Amino acid sequence: MSITIGLPSKGRMKDDASAIFERAGMKIVAVGNDRSYRGRVEGFDDVEIAFLSASEISREIGNGTVDFGVTGEDLVREGLAEADKRVEIAARLGFGHADVIVAVPDIWLDVETMADLGDVAAEFRARHGRRLAIATKYWRLTQQHFSSQHGIQLYRIVESLGATEGAPAAGQADIIVDITTTGSTLKANHLKVLSDGVILRSEACLVRARKPEHEGNPTVARIIKAVRSVL
Amino acid sequence: MPLTDMPDFAGIILDDFATRNATRVDTPVILAAEPFLDMAGEDLRRRIFLTENERGESLCLRPEFTIPVCLRHIETATGTPKRYSYLGQVFRQRREGANEFYQAGIEDLGERDAASADARIVADALGCLQKVLPDKAFAVTIGDQAVFEAVVAALGLPAGWQRRLVRAFGQTDLLEAMIARLAKAQPVGGLSPEVELLLDTGDEAGLVTHLTNEMDRTGYLTNASRSPEEIVRRLKEKRLLAGVSLDATKLDALKEFLSINVSLRYAPGVLADFAKSANLPLEKAIEGFDARVAALGKAGASLADITWRAAFGRPLDYYTGLVFEITVRGGHDVLVGGGRYDRMLTLLGAKDHIPAVGFSMWLDRIERSLEVTR
Repeated sequence: MSITIGLPSKGRMKDDASAIFERAGMKIVAVGNDRSYRGRVEGFDDVEIAFLSASEISREIGNGTVDFGVTGEDLVREGLAEADKRVEIAARLGFGHADVIVAVPDIWLDVETMADLGDVAAEFRARHGRRLAIATKYWRLTQQHFSSQHGIQLYRIVESLGATEGAPAAGQADIIVDITTTGSTLKANHLKVLSDGVILRSEACLVRARKPEHEGNPTVARIIKAVRSVL
Repeated sequence: MPLTDMPDFAGIILDDFATRNATRVDTPVILAAEPFLDMAGEDLRRRIFLTENERGESLCLRPEFTIPVCLRHIETATGTPKRYSYLGQVFRQRREGANEFYQAGIEDLGERDAASADARIVADALGCLQKVLPDKAFAVTIGDQAVFEAVVAALGLPAGWQRRLVRAFGQTDLLEAMIARLAKAQPVGGLSPEVELLLDTGDEAGLVTHLTNEMDRTGYLTNASRSPEEIVRRLKEKRLLAGVSLDATKLDALKEFLSINVSLRYAPGVLADFAKSANLPLEKAIEGFDARVAALGKAGASLADITWRAAFGRPLDYYTGLVFEITVRGGHDVLVGGGRYDRMLTLLGAKDHIPAVGFSMWLDRIERSLEVTR
């Protein structure tokens, strides 16, 4: 059985992932020209590389169409229901750090915690004739954090596929759930992260699809061991 | 048997409903998703089947009947009091059980005598269930948010704290965390010296100006979301609430209340004893509670089969008083769920306040109980 690894097809993520595999003794070479979307690993005849976009990688691991993938934990947990049942995080790779956070306008002096936000959300409809609106592309993570963890049910998600941090100032939403690395974009948009508003500390991970045929497969074990050995 | 088939006993339910002074209504299966998400929150999104029409409007397959029945009532401007019944398919994403199944129920809208409307709805649910499952004994669990609200008010907590606790009613973890917090005051931190000074001197206008200037400077629209006045008002309230704690006696009383779990035969006595020993003025809540117990007796419900669990509630803001569930005695499957939702019709757009109480029967679960019998 050949093992397929999904890797990011471009950008920093692609370079960082390739570097780790190379250090692990798994040099990745493109099949055909260097813009090809297929690759192989020197010395691993039974391993194939599929270059995919980061969000597709989490979906393909979830489907089991690739065996491993390198992608952000945020995309895995957002993209897959019951992620821990379907995939295993085999290694945290130490790059691509990003926190998924809840941020509110700086001027909300009265809101520092999720409990504060709960108070605000509960009264929002009575004051504004609508529910508190959250701009985000992270539907699932937002629901888990608000509904399951903090018992806040009354809010609405406004889908935002880009420039989410600008939504509150523009009046499209009241608050945001988004990723941040340095916090500088939030600061520039006069937003602050709640003290218990970090939903997930994400980084790039080597993620394995939980497939029964991986059990006892020497290549699967070898890949995990090789990558872990250089972290 | 194919799951889409209507259960054999649907006819028994409809015949029974016909004797209970309720108008049978049906609703479309494809409905605007907005009212459901608005009422039940975003969490519902992953439990319903959503789609979009060409104009990008969210539509869903009917996840339940109460909201569409109420909307229909508002749209047709039907007078109250009015009782509706329904029986039809609902569609939900569930971990267990089929995604499409039948529900039947009664909604009682606009009856001003809450105690007797409550009693009648519980008796209706029990009576109907007995016809479908004649060989079974049932257990009813009831909760009452109105009594909890009265206890919280009687403890002398500020309004903001009362609202918090009421909001958490029925969510054990959240409520316990709040009660733990109430044991000790917790000062507010993280404010700039300028804001602290304005707060300390009680300069509300100064705070509003400060925030308005900040919004101007940072390019925030002042009318799109929370206004400076709203933020200042809550900041003051938060400082007030942060300084609040409950003494041990009152905390114990609150915990004791929440642990009450007693047969309805003894519930009025237990509640009266609680009020007396905790020294809380609960007369009005007790009156309402006792009136319902009396009405239940009069409606022919067996009080021995009903248990009052004081901590039982639902965390949605439209529920106001009674909630109840019925299982087969010793069973776990909730066959019927119901409750009072006095705030829903106004939230859905009704001009007048319309008190409402209703129940819904899970026909798939009832069918399973029936199969166990056979």
